[in-house]
Amino acid sequence: MKKYIIIFLSLFFMSCEDVIDLSLDSAKPRLVIDASINWVKGTQGETQFIKLSLSAPYFDDIIPEASGASVTITDSNNTAYNFIEDGATGIYVNNTFLPEIGMVYHLLINYNNETYTATETLMPVVPIEFVEQKNDGGFAGDEIEIKAYYTDPKGIENFYLFEFTKTLSNSLNLEVYDDEFTDGNRIFAFHSDETLMAGDELIIRNYGISERYYEYLNILLQQTDDQSGDPFQTQPATVRGNCINQTNPDNYPFGYFRASEVDQLIYIVN
Amino acid sequence: MKYSLLWFLCVYCLLINFSYSQQKFTISGTISEEKSNETLIGVNILFPEISAGTTTNEYGFYSITLPEGKYNMVVSYLGFSTIIETINLTEDIVKNFSLTEVAENLDEVIITENIEKLNIRTPQMSVNKLTSGTIKEIPVVLGESDIIKAITLLPGVTNAGEGSSGFNVRGGSADQNLILLDEATIYNSSHLFGFFSVFNPDAIKDLRLYKGGIPARYGGRVSSVLDIYQKEGNSKEFHANGGIGIVSSRLLIEGPLKKNKGSFLLGGRSSYAHLFLPLFDIKNIAYFYDLNTKLSFKLNAKNNIYLSGYFGRDVFRIKDSFENIYGNSVFNFRWNHLFSDKLFSNLSLIYSDYYYNLELGFVEFDWISGIQNFNLKYDFKYYITDKIKLQYGINSIYYKFNPGEIKPTKASSGINPFKLIDKYAFENALYVDAEHKISNHLALSYGFRLSSFYRLGQDELNIYPDNQAVVFNEDFQIYEKADPIGTKTYKRSDVIKSFHNLEPRASLAYQLTPNSSIKASYNRMSQYLHLLSNTNSPTPLDIWTPSGKYVKPQLLDQYAIGYFKNFDDNRYSLELESFYKKVKNRIDYIDGADLIANNAIEQVILNGQSRAYGLEVLFKKNEGQFKGWLAYTLSKSEQQTPGRTAIEIGINNGNWYNTPHDKTHDISFTGSYEWNSKWKINTNFLFQTGQPATFPNGQYQYNGIYIPSYNNRNADRLPAYHRLDLSLNYTPIPNKNKGFQGNWIFSIYNIYNRRNANSISFGRNTDTGKNEATRLSIFGIVPSISYNFKL
Repeated sequence: MKKYIIIFLSLFFMSCEDVIDLSLDSAKPRLVIDASINWVKGTQGETQFIKLSLSAPYFDDIIPEASGASVTITDSNNTAYNFIEDGATGIYVNNTFLPEIGMVYHLLINYNNETYTATETLMPVVPIEFVEQKNDGGFAGDEIEIKAYYTDPKGIENFYLFEFTKTLSNSLNLEVYDDEFTDGNRIFAFHSDETLMAGDELIIRNYGISERYYEYLNILLQQTDDQSGDPFQTQPATVRGNCINQTNPDNYPFGYFRASEVDQLIYIVN
Repeated sequence: MKYSLLWFLCVYCLLINFSYSQQKFTISGTISEEKSNETLIGVNILFPEISAGTTTNEYGFYSITLPEGKYNMVVSYLGFSTIIETINLTEDIVKNFSLTEVAENLDEVIITENIEKLNIRTPQMSVNKLTSGTIKEIPVVLGESDIIKAITLLPGVTNAGEGSSGFNVRGGSADQNLILLDEATIYNSSHLFGFFSVFNPDAIKDLRLYKGGIPARYGGRVSSVLDIYQKEGNSKEFHANGGIGIVSSRLLIEGPLKKNKGSFLLGGRSSYAHLFLPLFDIKNIAYFYDLNTKLSFKLNAKNNIYLSGYFGRDVFRIKDSFENIYGNSVFNFRWNHLFSDKLFSNLSLIYSDYYYNLELGFVEFDWISGIQNFNLKYDFKYYITDKIKLQYGINSIYYKFNPGEIKPTKASSGINPFKLIDKYAFENALYVDAEHKISNHLALSYGFRLSSFYRLGQDELNIYPDNQAVVFNEDFQIYEKADPIGTKTYKRSDVIKSFHNLEPRASLAYQLTPNSSIKASYNRMSQYLHLLSNTNSPTPLDIWTPSGKYVKPQLLDQYAIGYFKNFDDNRYSLELESFYKKVKNRIDYIDGADLIANNAIEQVILNGQSRAYGLEVLFKKNEGQFKGWLAYTLSKSEQQTPGRTAIEIGINNGNWYNTPHDKTHDISFTGSYEWNSKWKINTNFLFQTGQPATFPNGQYQYNGIYIPSYNNRNADRLPAYHRLDLSLNYTPIPNKNKGFQGNWIFSIYNIYNRRNANSISFGRNTDTGKNEATRLSIFGIVPSISYNFKL
């Protein structure tokens, strides 16, 4: 809806967009926890990554990594998985992970003498069944539209994260869905991109997510939408994830600890 | 109730007080325009010898009761020739007047407020009046005359910039304005997402905007009242007028149904069907249209009947993937009845609705939402003596809210049909307002409105633990939806929750010199409906929701004082006003609140408060070759939603923050210069402090995407907004009274092509991999031409 209004505004009213210089305030850096347990269907899921970084001034080109942290995930059976940093990259790896659907996992991070914790349940997901392609989509009829179909399980609340990655450019598009109006039906995730061309490889991933993660990512995506600040946009605000700084609660981290089953489909654009 | 009894007693005492003086008689009647019989609103009737006077009401009626005697009676209305008649008042008389437009002086009435000395005396303050003539002269973008754009040139009135709907009065939000068209409430005042307003200037007689000191006969919104009257139609001769512009064309026809007894008016306006869409497929369309109709019947000297209607729609379609239709419909029946020459009454029965439909072809569903209401008003105006007038009446409104219904459009659709639960409410009010001239220097107006609101029974209202629909998550320091512990279904006749508010209203005018006065006012108002909108300006999709078990009504207290002065034989006038207002229970939304298709809207709403204060200056030149005004407003508008308990942080950490309509400085100048009888030049200049906005104070990377992080709400501002507009009005054959007469308007909007930021957005440039701030500006320089005609 919003997208259409903006297109409407820009096309009809001689409007113009230009990049301007602006000086912005800079908040002090916070720890960013990018911790996602992804168990792709048909794999063991034994290798898992957690990425820690710091927030930076808005116009900076470099996002500093958060190196030297200790990272552990413990499941409710008290099995502990230690994540070891790969060099000084801020990427922490475990190669012996045993994912289990419905299992509750606890994340424990110690960074700069502050302790961060989070808890999440590994959410199941239904498979992507097939993909439909339409070549005359979009406002001007020149965009390729992709619909990835799946069947929502009836009678339970489900939440989905769809990730469309164009292999060539490694460009990423995220969409979240709930099943409030689609419970029990075959429905689709929608992706439209004017740069898509025949022959492009598209990796489509469907993640099972929790309700709170759905809410979290929904706000986050609204704020990264390049339409933020337009008159139809909601007020941007600090988005808090599920990670808590136990040592100093005011120095809360950004990011989220998520655990998902994932279904992946590779689609070649016709 | 105790208070209201007291009020009644006061009024009663006053009545007694005035009923036993010397022998008095009443002179009353209707004042209309000579050529069309169109009644005139706000005509001054003066009796200079005894410095008494009155004005005509919304229906052109006046009445005044004076001691027996012989008087000069002066009937004057700016732009019309003044009538002076000697009246020998020895019995009650009915005296109707027809005023003729001053032929060589085609000046339209610019704001008439305070032009006459009488208005310096009346306690009503903070009101501006515009006629459709003034509105049509103000240069506008694409040459489309627009009521809402015109009122934003007044002090204390702003909007969220180009492409935003509604307007903001004295720091209030757009949903706090009561917009009345022939007494019927209009819920959405804009076409094309706010580029044009729904009011066809040809069909409008005049309008008043009350910003403060709002009389007791108005209620239900806390910020302002925009009261718009449609023309009745010419009951003498058939006439047509219209215009052709680059966006839309208009045609209005009017004429007698029965000469001097009845008239009709039918006006239509439509934008071109493929408005702005020439480049694309014929399957894409965007247009709007509206229809105004009115039938007026003069049954006899004591009874008039009016039937009027409005119907407007916006249609926007992108091939088969998207269709959006929305608009207002209004129908009303009014009956003016004179119980006596001192007691005027008007009964209105009004139906109005707002309809919103969105069909998303590519997801195969249809969405319909809306609001319907039935409104009964019975208003009385009792002209007791020349010193005291009483207005009283009742008002009942029944509402049905459809928060939305989703229907799959095809069998293959993955969407389940879903109906959000309808809501019902009943709003009542009883009001009394006295206008009381205490002495030649002091006039008072005082009264109250007793309003009540009943949220009526509905299906499946959620029940929450401790009645808390929003809970605070202490761990994550965020607000979340509470889980309902059950639902309750009520009978339609049940009252789920009721509210009663006594709203006192008072104002006074004290005349310092024959040409200057000070005025002060206080008003309390309550608002029971809320527009759910967490964007900077309302969108057509926004939904109205009633107060009830979890959402409290908004309550306003406003204080204003002012100084008013006329100079140089009323050629110039100056108005200085200062106001302070505070609104309780202003709704705010938790972060990420989903307001559309939400059956439990209470789960995302918090109650906060807002306040605004400011200073307004309006300096006008009222007559001569050059006319115009300069308005300056210095103001502050803020909002706060503190935590409900000590552990909660509230919205924006519980701190006060700027509302999106906080514009520190707002300067507007509008002027017209009559070069000669053929050419007229009009100009506007606007300067406004940039609109508050929230900019990022950092960025981070998560899940492969770059995310801006934001801190304090509305702590930043867009760059200042300013522009200059110019228009030339050319009448080839002026002073032509019969037959076809044409008129050209050439205009240039934003003459120095200022790129005013409508918004600044933040995002990552995928080509360069750098974060950027992008300014969106909507209109650069826009020349346009339009042609108007009269027949």
